[in-house]
Amino acid sequence: MTTKLETLPTPETAGAGKPTNRRKPKVRESRGTLAFSKAQRSKALMKHAILILAGGLMIYPLLWMVVSSLRPNELIFREPGLWLNSLEMSNYTSGWSALTHPFGHYMINSAIVVIGSILGNLISCSMAAYAFARLQFTAKKLLFGIMLLTIMLPFHVVIVPQYILFSQIGWVNTFWPLIVPKLLATEAFFVFLMVQFIRGIPRELDEAARIDGAGHPRIFLRLILPLMVPALATTTIFTFIWTWNDFFGALIYLTDPDMFTVPVALRAFVDSQSATSWGSLFAMSIVSLLPVFLVFLFGQRFLIKGIATTGIK
Amino acid sequence: MPLFSRPASAAKQSAETPTTGSRRPLRKTGLVAAAAAVVMALSACGGGAASESADGPVELRFSWWGGDKRAQLTQEAIKQFEAENPNIKIKPEFGDWSGYWDKLATQVAANDAPDIIQMDEKYITEYSSRGALLDLSKYEIDTSKLDEAALNAGKSEDGLTGIAAGINAATILANPKVFEAAGVPLPDDSTWTWQDFERIATEITAKSPQGTYGAAAYGTDEASLGVWLRQNGKSLYTSDGKLGFEPSDIADWWAFLKQLSEKKAVPSASEVVEAEAAPLDQSGLATGKNGMAFWWSNQAPALEKASGGDLKILRFPTKTGKADDAGLWYKASQFWSASSRTKHPEETAKFIDFLANDVKAGETLLADRGVYPNSDVRAAIEPKLTPADVKVVKFIDQIKDELGEAPAPPPKGAGSIQEIIKRYTSEVLFERLSTEEAGKKAHDEMKSAISS
Amino acid sequence: MSAISELSSISRKKGKATPEEKKANSRDNKAAYIFLLPWLVGLIAITIGPMLMSLYLSFTDYNLLQPPEWVGLENFTRMLTDARLHNSLGVTFTYVFIGVPLQLAVALLIALVLDKGMRGLPFYRSVFYLPSLLGGSVAVAILWKQIFGTTGLVNQVLAMFGIQGPGWISDPSTALGSIILLHVWTFGAPMIIFLAGLRQIPTMYYEAAKVDGATTLQQFWRITMPMLSPIIFFNLVLQIIGSFQSFTQAFIVSGGNGGPSDSTMFFTLYLYQKGFGQFDMGYASAMAWLLLVIIGIFTAINFIASKYWVFYDD
Repeated sequence: MTTKLETLPTPETAGAGKPTNRRKPKVRESRGTLAFSKAQRSKALMKHAILILAGGLMIYPLLWMVVSSLRPNELIFREPGLWLNSLEMSNYTSGWSALTHPFGHYMINSAIVVIGSILGNLISCSMAAYAFARLQFTAKKLLFGIMLLTIMLPFHVVIVPQYILFSQIGWVNTFWPLIVPKLLATEAFFVFLMVQFIRGIPRELDEAARIDGAGHPRIFLRLILPLMVPALATTTIFTFIWTWNDFFGALIYLTDPDMFTVPVALRAFVDSQSATSWGSLFAMSIVSLLPVFLVFLFGQRFLIKGIATTGIK
Repeated sequence: MPLFSRPASAAKQSAETPTTGSRRPLRKTGLVAAAAAVVMALSACGGGAASESADGPVELRFSWWGGDKRAQLTQEAIKQFEAENPNIKIKPEFGDWSGYWDKLATQVAANDAPDIIQMDEKYITEYSSRGALLDLSKYEIDTSKLDEAALNAGKSEDGLTGIAAGINAATILANPKVFEAAGVPLPDDSTWTWQDFERIATEITAKSPQGTYGAAAYGTDEASLGVWLRQNGKSLYTSDGKLGFEPSDIADWWAFLKQLSEKKAVPSASEVVEAEAAPLDQSGLATGKNGMAFWWSNQAPALEKASGGDLKILRFPTKTGKADDAGLWYKASQFWSASSRTKHPEETAKFIDFLANDVKAGETLLADRGVYPNSDVRAAIEPKLTPADVKVVKFIDQIKDELGEAPAPPPKGAGSIQEIIKRYTSEVLFERLSTEEAGKKAHDEMKSAISS
Repeated sequence: MSAISELSSISRKKGKATPEEKKANSRDNKAAYIFLLPWLVGLIAITIGPMLMSLYLSFTDYNLLQPPEWVGLENFTRMLTDARLHNSLGVTFTYVFIGVPLQLAVALLIALVLDKGMRGLPFYRSVFYLPSLLGGSVAVAILWKQIFGTTGLVNQVLAMFGIQGPGWISDPSTALGSIILLHVWTFGAPMIIFLAGLRQIPTMYYEAAKVDGATTLQQFWRITMPMLSPIIFFNLVLQIIGSFQSFTQAFIVSGGNGGPSDSTMFFTLYLYQKGFGQFDMGYASAMAWLLLVIIGIFTAINFIASKYWVFYDD
């Protein structure tokens, strides 16, 4: 990570016109290159040991799932440990093709919904958040309160009215009921998240830009958006995960098995009244976790960009 | 376009007592009225989208719950029906049990129910008494070959709203391996009593390694309670939709369970609760941890497969030691029902008739939904059944002459009875309530559940 | 001027708008509503209608299958005597007041540890986030049983020390605890938000503090906490709201029945049972609005209290 910190933009792009004479920004010290003392080294070792132990505990259940997916079905619940006597890939091959379509079909469906949702949330929520965080307008407090209210009502009671709404528009069994609400910033969680982040960005930057003659669209696009990359990355990752895992919405709105998303398809392995193919279920659960995990691995780089790397103030 | 869909029967009622009841309050609360108007306006604009051409192929939606195996079999049957009826297209919709009911309720509320609905005994009265299901007796469905008890299960004052898709009976399944390991002989199920059951189960637990029990606990569904009550001359429900037993009856039932628990004939309270939430293939019977367990007959093949060995289907024990007093009955494992608002009742009925009576459907579906209620189909497909399925068919035939009177259909609200039984069973087993208290409280709660 | 005092002067700066600023602000109306447009459309078209509809339904007897019938306050008076509802409120409050602080503390702690430059950072971050990826997957129920069941991993470990553990998820006295633990286990989301927030704190503050000879603890209380406070506040508000509505975990672990003996019967789980299990959507809607009022009160308290500990740079 030290390498990333070296490519810092200079502050004049942002804080040029500032009246107060502030401390010159410094690059965060690249600790990796510093020579550690012995005490420091053993402290670091301790830290790693604790982290690895804690991490191991954290993901033990997941490891068990991975191992189980490589076991024959009848052994899965007989062995709680992580030891594998043989490698059984059949759960993957049979699970992939057990349903009407190959499992990839459902992953593509999920991907469509996920991509639509991410774009929707990024655009609409950041716009609303900019207004709430930076602009003065009539009924601001009231609207902000209403926005928070919309998160507070348990979703079970709005399902039926919402379903009636979407079914009357003729959107049942399409992806629209899952995507359009995101395009319209109905996930107030993200609006609020971005509001909090924008409020953490020094206002002097806006003011400086405004003195330079920039209007709101320009300030929003050129200044605020680049500075809130961590918030945008957070939104992207969360939207991806939550939409990818969303069961209830997909269950209610997608009736045709061709349209099933991953969580709904996974339930098809579960038969409460008869035998469940646990091996296939675990195998496909892991397959469906892969994209999420990859997105997280890739996306987390953007979490650590942001103000820290621009070093303003 | 009405805001809330009205079932046919409800619409009739409301013609007599005008809709003022539900409209007046709208006027009272201005803001709500405005919001309702918005939704109504939105609802109105897309209303006609779902129309269809008069002579083009008719499309029917068919919805069921179940796993991937059932999906494959059922889709195969659909294909055969479509081959014979090129003018009718069936669109399958399926999912797992719990999601199925949420979805169905939402769809019915939005006037968007599937045409053909796989229905369960637990909910059929709920839906039929509120006018959501079609009276199938008015359409051409041959019921002459169907088993009478199973056919009656789908009848109520709202007409014939469900055709049994399979026949079930409450059974005790025994795992001979557990018996052998403990050195206990299998009981003679035509003469055994509850005392025998207790003795055998206790003996197995005593002679088995730790963690293995003679029997699974009952008390997790209404079937075992139903049998118990019938053997005591009572019933779960009366024909006029009330509870057919007293608090003391259910208290006695729990008292015996507690006695079993104290003798360790059944697993500990914690294990019982865990077993409740466990899927079928992880039940104590399937994993060889229980010698006997209470199951529906159609679950025997799946359990046999999961246990990896042979299972024996037993009759319930009795008080008298006579199998004729076992009080068993044929239960519909599930029903074929139709939405009362289907636009194509004839075609829907035709498809249900195919599912119920056509040998081709039978040869595809086999015993997936229980023993076929149509005796002709049952006989025709027997050579194709697996040995496990044949065992079930034999058991069903065997008890035919010992059956008690068919139980009254569950009243409205019966869907929550099982949950109440479960909850108080764990209260009793964890000794948080005495059996008498639990009996009284559970009875009260059940009474209010089915009367509201 | 030391960095710390400089910082506090910044964060305290809640200057009143000058006349010029006011003039500028009045121009914002048009721009603001343009920025708010997608959200406003969504609010009016998708959110508000169904919300108000549920408010209306809370005054009706509505069984989903037939049109609703106005019953006035009956649903609300019924709630007063509904012992299971009172129990579910107790369960939910316990869950919120133990689960939220615990989860946030763990998330913040791990985020702090992971924020410091160290090797293998992306790896650790991923490991700690992994459990949260699972979401409401059916596999979670199985996993949890493998660990906390009567013959699960925990009890196997305890057995090595000669202790016979209870069935953690099936014993009414420990079941809620195991679900709270499940909640804490998935601390990934607040951790990520904390991490992103930590990244927003300009490093120069820490360097200046070091020059001034501040200890790590002092740095934490005087720099990290105030600078991170908007994000802590966000996590707190949202976690409280989310935990009051918590549904999936209890639903999955208890198989949807809130058992054993209602010990994990969360408010929303009961609401769901009433609405979809017992076809009492009118009552369920009334419950939803009761919950909204409760959450609203706690959120309001949060916002009022935030004036004393949350620092904004505006």
